Parts: sequence; C-alpha cells; structure tokens
Amino acid sequence: MNHKKVSTFLFAAMISASAVLSTGCNMNDADDEKTIINMLQYKQEAVDAFEEMEKRFNETHDDIVLQVESPYEAMTILKTRLIKEDYPDIVGIGGDINYSNFLDAELFMDISDFEGVSDIKPSYMQIEKDLEFIPQDGVYALPYVANCAGILYNRDMFEENGWKIPETWTEFTALCETIQASGQQPLYLGYKDTWTTLSPWNSLAVGLSDADICSQVNAGNTTFTEGYAEAANKIKELLSYAEPNPYAYSYNDACTAFARGESAMYPIGSYAVPQILSVNPDMNIDTFTFPTNEAESDNILTSGVDLQFSVMKECKNKDAAYEVLKFLYEDDTIQIYLDNQNAIPCKKGDFTLPAMLDGVKGYIEADRMSDFHDHHYPSEMSVDAMIQTYLMDENEDAAADFLKRFDKEWVRYNRDLIEKVKKYEEEQS
Amino acid sequence: MKTIKKPMSKKTKTLLLMIMPALLLFVLFNTIPLITGAFYSLTNYRGYGSYDFVGFKNFIDLFQDSRVGKSYLFTFKYAIAGTILVNVLSLLIAMGLNSKIKFKSTLRGLYFLPNILGGLVVGYIFSFIFTYIIPTAAKAMHIDFLSSSILASEKWAWVGVLIVGVWQTVAMNTIIYISGLQTIPSDIYEASSIDGAGKWYTFRKLTLPLLLPFISTNMILSTKNMLMVFDQIMSLTKGGPAQSTESISYLIYRNGMDGGQFGFQSANAVVFFIVIVTISVIQLVITNKKEEQL
Amino acid sequence: MSSERHRVPEMPKVAIKKACEIKNDKDSKSNIFLTIVLILGCLTILFPLYMTIVIALKSPSEMTNDVAGALSLPSKFSLENFAEAIRVTDFWNSLGNSLLITGITIILSVIIHSMAGYAIGRSMARHKGFKMIYLYIVSGMFVPFAILMMPLVKETAMLKIDNMFGVILLYVVFYMPMNVMLYSGYLKNIPLAMEEAAEMDGASTWKTYWKIIFPMMKPMHATVAILTALGTWNDVMTPLVIMSGSERTTLPLAQLNFQTQFGTNYNLAFASYLLALIPILIFYILCQKKIIGGVANGAVKG
Repeated sequence: MNHKKVSTFLFAAMISASAVLSTGCNMNDADDEKTIINMLQYKQEAVDAFEEMEKRFNETHDDIVLQVESPYEAMTILKTRLIKEDYPDIVGIGGDINYSNFLDAELFMDISDFEGVSDIKPSYMQIEKDLEFIPQDGVYALPYVANCAGILYNRDMFEENGWKIPETWTEFTALCETIQASGQQPLYLGYKDTWTTLSPWNSLAVGLSDADICSQVNAGNTTFTEGYAEAANKIKELLSYAEPNPYAYSYNDACTAFARGESAMYPIGSYAVPQILSVNPDMNIDTFTFPTNEAESDNILTSGVDLQFSVMKECKNKDAAYEVLKFLYEDDTIQIYLDNQNAIPCKKGDFTLPAMLDGVKGYIEADRMSDFHDHHYPSEMSVDAMIQTYLMDENEDAAADFLKRFDKEWVRYNRDLIEKVKKYEEEQS
Repeated sequence: MKTIKKPMSKKTKTLLLMIMPALLLFVLFNTIPLITGAFYSLTNYRGYGSYDFVGFKNFIDLFQDSRVGKSYLFTFKYAIAGTILVNVLSLLIAMGLNSKIKFKSTLRGLYFLPNILGGLVVGYIFSFIFTYIIPTAAKAMHIDFLSSSILASEKWAWVGVLIVGVWQTVAMNTIIYISGLQTIPSDIYEASSIDGAGKWYTFRKLTLPLLLPFISTNMILSTKNMLMVFDQIMSLTKGGPAQSTESISYLIYRNGMDGGQFGFQSANAVVFFIVIVTISVIQLVITNKKEEQL
Repeated sequence: MSSERHRVPEMPKVAIKKACEIKNDKDSKSNIFLTIVLILGCLTILFPLYMTIVIALKSPSEMTNDVAGALSLPSKFSLENFAEAIRVTDFWNSLGNSLLITGITIILSVIIHSMAGYAIGRSMARHKGFKMIYLYIVSGMFVPFAILMMPLVKETAMLKIDNMFGVILLYVVFYMPMNVMLYSGYLKNIPLAMEEAAEMDGASTWKTYWKIIFPMMKPMHATVAILTALGTWNDVMTPLVIMSGSERTTLPLAQLNFQTQFGTNYNLAFASYLLALIPILIFYILCQKKIIGGVANGAVKG
C-alpha cells in the first residue's frame, strides 16, 4: 500500500501548506481595543497623498486606526471584495455609473447626518443626486474632488501666433482654419482607443443638450435622436481639423504628438496632463471650455466628481467612519491631495487651482458646470465604440443611423432600469 | 480466466486512485464554479447586490443580439485562420529547430520569446509597427494598400490581430511538436532510407502518423487558444475599429465583469462553452479514429 | 491517409520536403541553408525585441512618434530605468512570490497530471469510464475564465484559500486539461513492453509507474513544466482577483504599477518586463535540454 502513503502525504502537505499560508495573513489583528476603519480608494495614482493622510490621521487619533488601500485595478478588487463579503468601511470611487449601480444594490449608508455635508458645493451635491437611478432620500456620497474636460491648448504656440481663445463655435472653427492655413494642425484626436471619443462628445453633449437627458429618455419624455442631433453633427466636424485617419492613433500617440507640438489643441480632460508632461516636461498647457454654442453665455464646463466617499452599509463603526470623513474634509487634508494631484476641490473655500486650469477658472468660480454625460451611460453599451463607428461611417445618413442606434441600444441596455423607473413613477402618482 | 481477471481489476483500482487527486481538484475548482456560473445565467445578477431569477430571458436576448452574433463571426474567422497558420508554422519551425543547425540553443531560445513578452510590450510595439513603421515603409515603396495602419481599417484590423496572435502562440505549439519529434526514433528513418523511400513519402508515411497524437493535441490547444482570443485584442484594438474585432471572450469579460451584464454574459459563456466543446469533441473523435486505424 | 492531409491543411509541400531532407541527412554537418532560413525568421522576433530594449533604455522625454526617432539608440546609455523598475516593483520580493507560485504549481502539476495522464492514457482504449473522465477533464479547457471568476472568488474565500496557495491550486486545475492531454498522448508512443515485463516480475502498478514510466516521461515532464510556467508566469488576472486584499504581490501584479487609468510609463514598464523575462527564459533553456535528452530510443509502438 505504498501508494496510499504517498497520496496521504501529498494531501497532508497540501492541507498544512494551506493552513500556514492562510493563517499567515490573519496575524495582524493585534490592536484589539482600537477601532479599525478600512478604506479602499480607486485613485491608484494618488497613493502618495493617501499614505500621507493615513499617517497624519493615525498620528492624531489614538482610538481609531485608518487603513487606506489604493490597489491597482481597484474597481475589480472592490467587486471581488463585495463577492467575498469582505466589505471595506469606506470606499473612495468616481461619480459615475458604477456608483449608481452600487447605490441601486443598496450597498451604501445614508450619511445625511454627517455635519460636513453642508460644506460641499451645491453643484456637486446635485451631480450626486442626478446619479441616482431612483431618487433617494438621504445622502449616500460625499464629493471630494472633481476633474474637468474641455480643450487643452499649447500656450506657447497660441502666444507665438497671436491666436485668441475662441468663445463661440464659429470662432472655434475660424481659429481651426487659421491654424490650418498657417500650415499647422489644429487638433489631435487619437481615436484608436475608443474611450477618447467620449471626451469631445461629453463636452458637446453638455453644451448642446439637457443635463438630465438620460433620465428624461428613461421617463419617455424625449429621445436621443432629438437631444443629441447637434452634438453628433459637431463631433464629425472636428475630423476635418485633425490628423488624417485618427483611428490609427492611440491616446498615448495623441499625448506624445500634442506634447511634441504636432497640434495646437487636444480635446481631452485635465487627467491627460501628467502623461503629456512626461514627454515634454517644459510644456505650457492650459485648458479652455469647449465653445459649443454661438453665445459665450450658453457654454458650460464639463466637470464631474472624480473622487467621492461613501460609507458602506456593512460598516459597524459609524462614529469612527465619520471621524475619518471629518479628517478627510479638513482644509489641510484636502490640500495634501491637491498638492499631489491636479484636481478641483468639491468643498467650499479658498484653494489654489493648478495653473493648467487657468482658462476655466471663471467657470469653476461661477459654478457654471455640468456632469459628463457618459457617467450615466451603462459601460456595457459601449457608447465610445458606437461613436467611433459613427465617425468612421462615411454614408450620408450616418448621423441619423447613429442616433437611431443610440435610442435602440439605450432601451436594450437599460431595460431593467427603465422598468424600475416606470414602476417608481407609477407608485409616486 | 479467474487468475487473469483478478490482477486486472486491482490494476484498474490503482489507476483510478491515480486519477483521484486530479479529479477531486477538477470537480472542486472547475465543475462547481461552472455550475454556479451557469446558474447566474438564469438571473439578472450584476456581480454584487441582489438579483432576480429571469428564466431563459438571457438566452433569448442572446440569440437576438447582433453584437454577440458579430463577435461569433469574428471569433470563428480568426480561429480558423489562426489554427491553420499556427499549426503549419509551428510544425515547420519545430522540424527546423530539431534538425542539424548552427546556434541551435540560441535559436530555440529566440523562437520561444514571443510567448513570454507581456501584453503591454506586445501591444505597444506592434501598434507602433502597424501605425508608423509599415505605413512609412509602404509610402516609400508606393504600396497604397499598406500606407495607412491596418489596425484602423474596419475590414483588415482582424488580420493585424491575427498576425500578432499567431506570432505569440507559435512558440507554445512549437515546443509541443519538438517534444513530439523526440519520440520518433531515428532508426526508423534509417530503415526507410535503406528501403529507398522518398523524403516526402517518409514524412507522410512515418513522421506524420507518429506525430498524430501531438498534432491532435496541438490542433485542440490552438483551436482553443484562438477561439478564446482576448489578450491580443486588449492590447491592440480593444474591440475596434468600429467594433470589428470584438471577440466572444472580450465581450464576456468586458461586459460581464466591467459592465453590469454578469448574468447575460454568463449565458453567453455557457453557449460558447457548449459550442467549443462540441467542436473539440468532433476533432478528438476524428483524430482518435485516425490513430486507431494505424 | 487522404483525409489526413485535410486535418493538417495546406502544408507547403516543398518546405516540408526540405525539412525532412535535412532531418535525414545524418552524415552531413550543420545545415547552413536551414540555419539561415531560421535566422531570417528570427528577425520578426529580434526587431520587436530591439525596440523593447531601446525603449527600456530611454527616458519618457525621448519618446516620439517619429519612426527614426523611435528606433534610434538612447542619447545616453544608462541602466537607471532598470534600477528604478526594481525599486518600484519591489522586485526581489515580487520575484520570490512569482517563483514560489510558479515553482509549486509546476511540481504539483507534474505529479498530479502525469499520474492522471498515465491512468487515462493506458486504459482509455479499454475502459469507457476512463474515456469519459478524459473527455470530462479535457472539456474543462474550454470554460471561459470569466464565467468561473466570480464563483471562484467566492469559493476560495469560503475555503480560506484566497491567497497564494489558492492561486496555485487553481493553476493546477487550469492547466490540467492540457497537461493530461499531453501526457496521455505521449504515452501512445511509449511501448507497453517494459511495463508488462515489470508486472510479470510481480511489481505493482503503482511501483511500475514510479520506477519505470515516470522516469521515462522525462521529456514530457519538461514540456509540461515549461508550458505550465509559460501560462502562470505572466498571469495577472488570477492573482489579482483571488489574492485581492492580501499584501503579497507577484511580478505581473507589481507591473500594473506602471499603468494608471490615464498614463503609462512605457520606459520603466519595458525595463521591468525585460527583467521578468530572464528567469523564465533560463528555465526554458534548462527544460529544453531535458526535452531533447531523454529520447525513448529504439522503441516503436507496436
């Protein structure tokens, strides 16, 4: 019975190895009497800022230990932790459809009794409100910082050539033609990565259609064919001012090209600036609001919540979690984040904005902002790929086809949601 | 009769015991999760939170979904071309690397490299080659067809993905063919050359039949690898341009894990699984028949 | 035989003839022509490799979209990126974890899969049951990982093996279909005579296996080891979802460090990928020797 011995040995080895490896991870529950607040935040690039915050918090608090995790692929990690029912106490995520879904799955706690809520700029609280599929009573997310998207431009190129920042669509197309006439390239698009199409799309949609168009469509009050017609036409116009065959060039190619002065402007969000600066550290970049309309006063800056905090329903120490939130929203703490990342704080107060947002400062201060439309698109609908498909379609009725498809797919991918909304409205009336 | 039967059954028992560890692990970490996943295909589960049972709605949706249909067309076109190319090339390379050549070890090492270069590297380098190098060269030589990136062409992007896919997977199949060639003893070649058999005849009548178990393994492995194409799409096209290179695995992953379609994409995965198993069982049955004939 | 050629379609006959010719030329020296052909084929590998190395040596500010610029050598030669990559990925630690995972996976795979492959390969033709088990295991290869992922995350968490050990067990299962197929296929070319002789002498099946068959399958062990290592070494997804929340990290996980949502440091990343390539390349070269070394000579299947 030699073989039994060997297989018994094999299994014993496996089991003991599993015991050793699995207990090894549970050893650090040493501080029993202290409350541990576990926070998972998704901005991996801000890991240094969060390490600093974590350190400061733990130095000043004896009874609470804050553990911040900033993993790569954070959304995947978060989802796997939800499956394992290994819930963090606080999550830091973006204000997009993921939040809407998590909220809909009833994962978050109502934090309307947190005193810091009133310090947040109302426009950002409204953005959070609009992300709710079904209007909720209470507050489920606290905006922390925002980002914005418009058109990045090469300041030095503009100054050397005496170009002026356009404020209307006509001025914008005129500027593009002037630049072209001077033998330079106005725009770089880089549409090989489909998601980049969403940047100009969001700006155009924000400027040219209602902020709540998605929920209006869900309620059956309008269609995208109606609401997005102008945005669809204008995004195609951009093609004539950009590199030929933009579908060959990736986001990275576009960043490099813009950094190398191959184009004067690049319609992308402020998040692209670090990548551009890595290629050309001395570059002088600024942003202006996408001039989508014929009157400057109609233009709106696209700005959404880049990072927000929610307390999980499963959190057992609400008071400790609030203590952490209070700390996070202290002006000094926010400044740690702002010094590390280029961002717009969502809290009221005087903070220094990064220089590359000079051109949109007026809009931010006047609160003339509206959320990215794609924060309301289900990611599985792949609107970015649909836009790319539309832009490549050279048929005459491409725009009509695209908008028709938009309406059709919207219903297909939001079927459950639309049903829910209808049910809710019936209950209300 | 008795004396023969008894040790036979004892042998069978031992053999069964030898399979046990594998079988146990397999049931635990393949079959059970598969059944769980298949169960989700009957729900509207998002991957978290609560869910409702929706019956066969996901399957009905699946057969009406033009995007899924398109991904099947792309995947099969890719897999058929890929399986043929990979097997022909890897058999040729394996026979080349197995013969008397100079720098044998270095060459073997080099041909192995594509398989271990990470997706980020492969994606960047080949995008650069397709986007910049080939068009520049084509313009210089006045070849219109290649003067713009094939990855940006709705019609030809799949060929770009295919080139990279084949380039990367050939290494693996080559290794299997090389070890297969080792099992063919050299003396049978000597015998056949004494018989005065032609080279092509020798290959067809000796090498090929003796390699058959490896050819069948390689056919199945490469069919599987090609049908499940995912990495190359992630690093080269992300399904574009104009959604022309969305493979089935890409859709299942992207919409099921990143998006909220976990239930629906589980249904897609179940159907896909049944389709591939059917294809491979047919492959297996055919090659096994061939082997038995020999 | 005619349908045979349909199974392996469209073989360029001339090329194959050539390859056969060379294989049979026992008395000749190294074949120069074939060497040249293979070296030319290698250019498709050497060129991308050259680009990778050049990029790994440059700094981000030297990146350009211009062909000549991209292919040019870095302005100054410095291994700074490699040093930085080692620091950022906590290289030695991550390497250790990757080696541990891949190493144990290989050992378990060779033991468990070869036993199963032997049992199946030797009795498939006689017993329907074994044939069913074979088809059952091989069909596992075609399950899309995405459907298994969430249930596996839950299962490993419940069994408290959402750690490196769990990842290893999963790998043993993921590569089982391929390896069992390879082992049982290989056995078809190993003659029954030796086992039969041993059993005539009264040795048990178990003993015969470990004493005679297992050593004879050495080339296949090397093949299985290298193919399994290939799959595990660069894998990101399994450790990412299974070990999420644990402090341990593997090399591919650490390499995610170079990619954030809106920016990638290709220079550091490429340096790091080149470093990660070395251990597996060495392992491959060692295995190659074993694949070639242990030919089952002078024996043809009856």
